Amino acid sequence: MANKKKLQTPEEMLQAGKDVLQPWTLSESTPEVNRLDIAIKAADIKACVKALVDAKWGYLSAITALDWPEYASAEGSSEKTILPDQGNVEVLYHFCNGPAIITLRTKLPYAAAGIDSICDIIPSATLYEREAMELLGVDFIGTPSMERLLLPDDWLANVYPLRKAFTGLEKSNKVEEK
Amino acid sequence: MADPIQSVINNVKTWARINSPWAIHFNSGSCNGCDIEILATLTPRYDVERFGIKLQGSPRHADVLICTGPVSLQARDRLLRTYEQMPEPKFVIAVGSCAISGGVFQGCYNVVGDISEVIPVNVYVPGCPPRPEAIIFGVVQLLKSLQG
Amino acid sequence: METKHEPEKFIVSIGPQHPALKEPGHFEFTVNGEVVTNATARLGFVHRGMEKGCEGRNYVQDLYLMERVCGICSHVHALAFALGVEKLAGVQAPPRAQAIRSLVSELERIHSHLLWLGVAAHEGGFDTLFMFSWRDRETVMDLLELISGNRVNYSANVLGGVKIDINDSQRDALHKGMDFLEERTHHYMKIVTEDETFLGRTRNIGLMTKEQASLLGAVGPTARASGVEHDIRVDSPYAGYPDFPVKLITEPAGDLEARFVVRINELFESYRLVREIIDHLPEGELSVRVPRRIPEGETVSRVEAPRGELFYFMKSNGTDQPERVKVRTPSLCNWASVLTLAVGHKLADMPMILAGIDPCFSCNDRMVTVNRGGNAQDWSWEDLRKYGIAYYK
Repeated sequence: MANKKKLQTPEEMLQAGKDVLQPWTLSESTPEVNRLDIAIKAADIKACVKALVDAKWGYLSAITALDWPEYASAEGSSEKTILPDQGNVEVLYHFCNGPAIITLRTKLPYAAAGIDSICDIIPSATLYEREAMELLGVDFIGTPSMERLLLPDDWLANVYPLRKAFTGLEKSNKVEEK
Repeated sequence: MADPIQSVINNVKTWARINSPWAIHFNSGSCNGCDIEILATLTPRYDVERFGIKLQGSPRHADVLICTGPVSLQARDRLLRTYEQMPEPKFVIAVGSCAISGGVFQGCYNVVGDISEVIPVNVYVPGCPPRPEAIIFGVVQLLKSLQG
Repeated sequence: METKHEPEKFIVSIGPQHPALKEPGHFEFTVNGEVVTNATARLGFVHRGMEKGCEGRNYVQDLYLMERVCGICSHVHALAFALGVEKLAGVQAPPRAQAIRSLVSELERIHSHLLWLGVAAHEGGFDTLFMFSWRDRETVMDLLELISGNRVNYSANVLGGVKIDINDSQRDALHKGMDFLEERTHHYMKIVTEDETFLGRTRNIGLMTKEQASLLGAVGPTARASGVEHDIRVDSPYAGYPDFPVKLITEPAGDLEARFVVRINELFESYRLVREIIDHLPEGELSVRVPRRIPEGETVSRVEAPRGELFYFMKSNGTDQPERVKVRTPSLCNWASVLTLAVGHKLADMPMILAGIDPCFSCNDRMVTVNRGGNAQDWSWEDLRKYGIAYYK
C-alpha cells in the first residue's frame, strides 16, 4: 500500500476517488490541487462512505459542520438580521489519502437536518457526530450515542453555539446562579 | 540569576521551618501550559518539595489551592466543591492569565473567566504561562503574608 | 450490550498530572471482575468555545488564540492556522521561515515526548524515570526559551512567516543540547526495552493490530506503533519538511512497549532533524506580508503534532475575521481507539493504556467511570494508579 502511494500523484489519487464516488456525485470542484469536493444527496452518505472504505481510499479524518444562516435585510439599512429558523447546515466528511483529500458535502435545512449515521461503517465517527450534533444541530439518525460530548449536561437543548444566530450573550445559556 | 533566586529560596526555607503547607492543584479548563509549569516545580531543577510544599491529592488535607484555567462551565461546580472541602484556614493561588481574567478566552461562551468570580483568591501569578520560578515566588508571597 | 453480572460503578478521575484531579466529564468502563467489557467517553471539561471565539476575532488575534488550544503543542496549532491563512491569501512564507517553523516543531516534539515519557513512567510507578526525563527535558525548554523568549507558548509564527531567527551562538547551543539529549535518550531506550519491571507492564499489553488501528482511526505514534504508515510530515510535507525530509518510524508489535519505542525513536529522528535544519538554514526573509482581509475561500491544513494528525478546516469570507475554523485534534481520534482497546484488558492496565496513547493534557482532564457493580464509588486517579502498581507487584 505504501508503494502504491509513492507512485501516485495527488491528482491520480483524487481521480481514483472520483471514479469510486461517481454514481452519487451531484457536482464536484477542485478548490486546491490536492482537494476534491463532491456534493452528494444526504440519503447517499452511507453508500459513499462504504464505497470509499471498500476501495480502501484513505481514512475519515474529520467531520465538519458548517452554518449557512439566512438573513433578512431591513429596508433602507445595510443591517442584516439572522432568521434563526431558516438557515441550512452543511455537513462535510473529510477523507484523507496521503496528501489527497476528498470532502463529501451535503446541505441540510435546520428544520430537517437529518442524515444517516455512518458509525456502523466507521465506529470512531461517533465522537465527530456527537460534536456536530450539539454544536450545530445536525441530527445523525441511528448514531449510537446521543450524550453531550463537549457541552455541559445542563446546556439548554436546541441552542447550538456554533450557529451564527448564537452570540453567547444570552444569559439563559449559562449555568443558573446557585 | 543566582541572587534573587537565592533570596527567594532563603525566604521559603525560613517559612518551611515554621510550617509545611500542603497544596492541591485544580485545573479549571486551562490549556495545560500553566499546569506543566506547576508540575515542573516538582522536578529536580526547581524541586519545590524540598521547601516542604507538598502537592497531594485530597482537598480535605490541603492548606493551599493552586488553581489554573479560565473556569469552564463544567469546572465551576467542581472548583466550588473542592474549595468547600478544604478545612480552614485555606488559601487560593490563581496561576496564569486565564485564572485572572480569562486570558485569551475572555468572552468565549463556555468560560466564566476570572477565578475570583467563583472562589476568593489570595494571590495571582500572572503569565501565559508563568515560569516555575514565578509560581514558586507566588507561593512564597502567600507564605510571607501569612507570616506577617 | 448486555453485562453478565450486576455492573459495579467505579468513578475514577483521570489526569496524568502528579496530583489527582476530580472533575466532571468521564470515561465509562463496564467491568466484569477484573476485565473491562465496555467503554464510552464524555469529554468537555476543557471546552472553551474556541472555534466560536475565532469567528469574533481577526486572523491575527486568532493566531494567538489557537496557540493556546494546548500548552504542550502550541506551535503546531499556530502553524496549522498560519499555513491555512497563507493558503487562503495565496501567499507562501519564505524558505528560511518554513525551515525555522519545522525546527520549532521538532523542538516541540522533543519536549512533548520527554514530557510524556516521564508522565507515562509515573503512571506505571517508575518515578525515577519521571524525574530524570523531566530534568533532561529542561534542556529543550532552555533551548526553546533561548530562541523564542518563552518556555511555553513560544509564539514563533506570524501570519506569513516567523518572528524569530537563529544566530550562531544559538546554533551552538542547539547542537550541544541535541548531543546531551541524544546520549540521555539511549539510556531511556535501554530502560524501556530491557528493564524487567517495566516490560512486565508494557510488553504484550494494550495490543492494537494494524487493522484495528486503521479502522478505529488512530493517528500519530499510537498508530505507528501498530505498523500504520501515516505521518503527515512524510505523506503530505508542509512548512520546511519538503527540504528536510523525515524518516517514517513504525513498530510492528502494537503493544505498549512499541508505543514507547516509537516515541523514543522519534526523539532520535528529531535530534537529527534539528541538527540538519540549523546546519542548512536557507538564507532570506523571515516573513511575507499577508493582507488584513482574507479573500473568500476554504482550505484544509494538516500538520503532524506530537500526538498525531492535527486537522484544520478554515473558511474565509473576504473580511478580516474567519467564517469558520474547525479544529480536529489528534487526541480525539485516539480516544476512540482506546475505548475499543480497553475491552478485554484488566482494570490494572488502564493507567498505562490510557497514558500510552499520549492523551493531550488539554483534551485529557476528565473523569473515568468504571461500571462494575451496584454502588458508585469515587476513585481518585492516584488510587487507580496505585491499584495498577500493586497488581503487578
